[in-house]
Amino acid sequence: MPAALTVRPVTEDEHLAHLRSRPSASFLQTPAWGRVKSEWRRESLGWFRASPDGAEEMVGTALVLYRQLPRVKRFLAYLPEGPVLDWDDAADDLAAWLDPLTAHVKKQGAFGVRIGPPVVTRRWSAQQVKDGVADAGTARLADLAPSVREPLGAAVVSGLRRLGWRHQGAEGGFAAGQPQYVFQVPLVHPDGTARTEDEVLKGMNQLWRRNIKKAAKEGVEVTTADVGDPAGLADELAAFHALYVHTAERDHFTPRPLSYFRTMAEALGAEDRDRFRVFAARQEGDLVASTVAIRVGTHAWYSYGASSTEKREVRGSNAVQWAMVRDALAAGAHVYDLRGITDTLDPEDSHVGLIQFKVGTGGEAVETVGEWDLPLNRVLYRAFDLYMSRR
Amino acid sequence: MSLTLHVDGARWRAHLDAVATANPGLTPVVKGNGYGLTLPRLARRAGWLRDQGHDLDTIAVGTYSELETVASRFDGDLLVLTPWRPFGPELELDEHLERRVVHTVGRLEDLVDLLDRHPAARVVLERRTSMLRHGFDADGLRAAGRLLRGRRTASVAGVAFHLPLDQGSHLAEVLRLMDDVVAADLPTRTLWISHLSADELATLRRTYADYVVRPRVGTALWLGDRGALRVTSTVLDVHPLRRGQVYGYRGRTAPRAGHLLVVSGGTAHGIGLTAPAGESRLRARAAVLARGGLDAAGLARSPFTVDGRQRLFAEPPHMQASMLLLPAGARVPEVGDELDVRVRYTTTSFDRVLVD
Repeated sequence: MPAALTVRPVTEDEHLAHLRSRPSASFLQTPAWGRVKSEWRRESLGWFRASPDGAEEMVGTALVLYRQLPRVKRFLAYLPEGPVLDWDDAADDLAAWLDPLTAHVKKQGAFGVRIGPPVVTRRWSAQQVKDGVADAGTARLADLAPSVREPLGAAVVSGLRRLGWRHQGAEGGFAAGQPQYVFQVPLVHPDGTARTEDEVLKGMNQLWRRNIKKAAKEGVEVTTADVGDPAGLADELAAFHALYVHTAERDHFTPRPLSYFRTMAEALGAEDRDRFRVFAARQEGDLVASTVAIRVGTHAWYSYGASSTEKREVRGSNAVQWAMVRDALAAGAHVYDLRGITDTLDPEDSHVGLIQFKVGTGGEAVETVGEWDLPLNRVLYRAFDLYMSRR
Repeated sequence: MSLTLHVDGARWRAHLDAVATANPGLTPVVKGNGYGLTLPRLARRAGWLRDQGHDLDTIAVGTYSELETVASRFDGDLLVLTPWRPFGPELELDEHLERRVVHTVGRLEDLVDLLDRHPAARVVLERRTSMLRHGFDADGLRAAGRLLRGRRTASVAGVAFHLPLDQGSHLAEVLRLMDDVVAADLPTRTLWISHLSADELATLRRTYADYVVRPRVGTALWLGDRGALRVTSTVLDVHPLRRGQVYGYRGRTAPRAGHLLVVSGGTAHGIGLTAPAGESRLRARAAVLARGGLDAAGLARSPFTVDGRQRLFAEPPHMQASMLLLPAGARVPEVGDELDVRVRYTTTSFDRVLVD
């Protein structure tokens, strides 16, 4: 019988120290992310296990965001893409790991808890996704046998279900929470050795390669800015934001305010200079594409993107993506993560274009365990469920 | 002179062929009384199906005791559905059969024990379903996976689910259980599964195209076309009966005048033996109650029909024969005439099976 696990609040420094001891964690689980989401109460939690010599060892952490239920002083304890545990270890006895968490947040006034274990369940190759879109009989990724099934992911799903957790599904679209399906380009071989730039480039489809080449020929130059140069970062962020607002108008989504990105840059950048970086692609002085990249350890994300309506032919978007991939490779990252896709493979669906763009990178569609809720107070949880569904 | 099962051979074989075509990877279940058709006949017929070119290399028997009967009549693999235990006939398995037998295992301790005795044993791991009969739970299956990764001599022929009957859709349960199968990281990609509808099988095959699905089919295969099967009994004697006349082993008196028919087929054949009907629908349960009322009056409907009408037992069936009441006015059959009988095939032993 392994020693019992306990969960208690830790300082942000302790939290960060644990994250640094691991190869990677979701940026949504960094203390900095709690500062970005300042409208919610946040808490850093640690999992502790007594080692044989009596000392205590910190074996897991979580950033908990407490989201208040309207008009009631009760909260949903939300752990986006967390907690950060050794899931291999935890899958053998999920209750031992999750019970102390739920007991703690219940004492903090939570009526329910939502987690998003960062554990992969299935992977589909770019070719499979492409074939799936072409095949009229395949409407969703889940209808397609994957190239890889991950036993750990299956164990976590099965274990959560057994413990009464409820999967928060989002068939055919994006859920309110974090996406269950993402698109990733592996930057290492299965044996763990790094792929070369050339290998990654060769994995991309012909259109991507042609566009990257074309951007270079058109004289597109990509520069980056991070917190190492605060003035430069502020300028690039403002430029990014102006283009992002333009993109939002064109593509009909609601842009976030510049202050949101400033907070993000500041909070994430304070933890680590490499956490937050703005990429800008310019051609003859004109900003044609700009993106926000985030990296925690070996995991690099393409987080936000914007592109001009003018000069699309110089292929700034491809140039900036390629620059981000190269940057991630140079930093020793294992994964380049293009974040969410929907599970639809229906060519009539408006989301499919996004998948097709990401598929061009030659990576893989990745399904994670997704988000799971455990109601702690059934009446309030049901009220919350209703509130969310009507929002 | 006997209780006889007549099989319309051409029609029956066409049905078997159709089922095998619709179920690639079919595993015929050949167990118990051979669904009334006898084990040797079914074993040979499974071989015939394979010879027709169907993807069929294994038959499933219920118990280890049944192996000897089928082994000489079907030369493929033999899956035993009852989980292996460290006692009983499985320990006396003939050495020449050991290579052909695929054991079902449902407990970790049994897996260890079996592999200690036969390191190269071939096993199917059963995952317990909502039926709660045999099989591993989720953790047990993962533990089995870990054990098997350390014992590479064993050959894992698949994972089995034994699903309950008639519980609406089984697919949701199967898909949940599949998470446990994937989680166990087993060195197999074969699923042995029964009681899924054609649509459910198709969905399972699509989403788990990286697995091989082997449908186990018994009743729907052998007895799926009832029109190809007919059961008859022979009239052995006919006696006129006066109202109040005493007759039978138990010295009953006739409630009214008519005829007493003595026909072949009794308890030795399974006639008159009933298991609880297991019906859960209200209407079906009401029918059971009604039959019980008849029982209380000392009379019971028999499965024998004369001119299309089911007749009452004159008294409980005997070992080889039954006595029926034929009311006055009904046509009286002659000695040697054949009567149709409705039977439960899985509990009936016929004196003869005639395949035309």
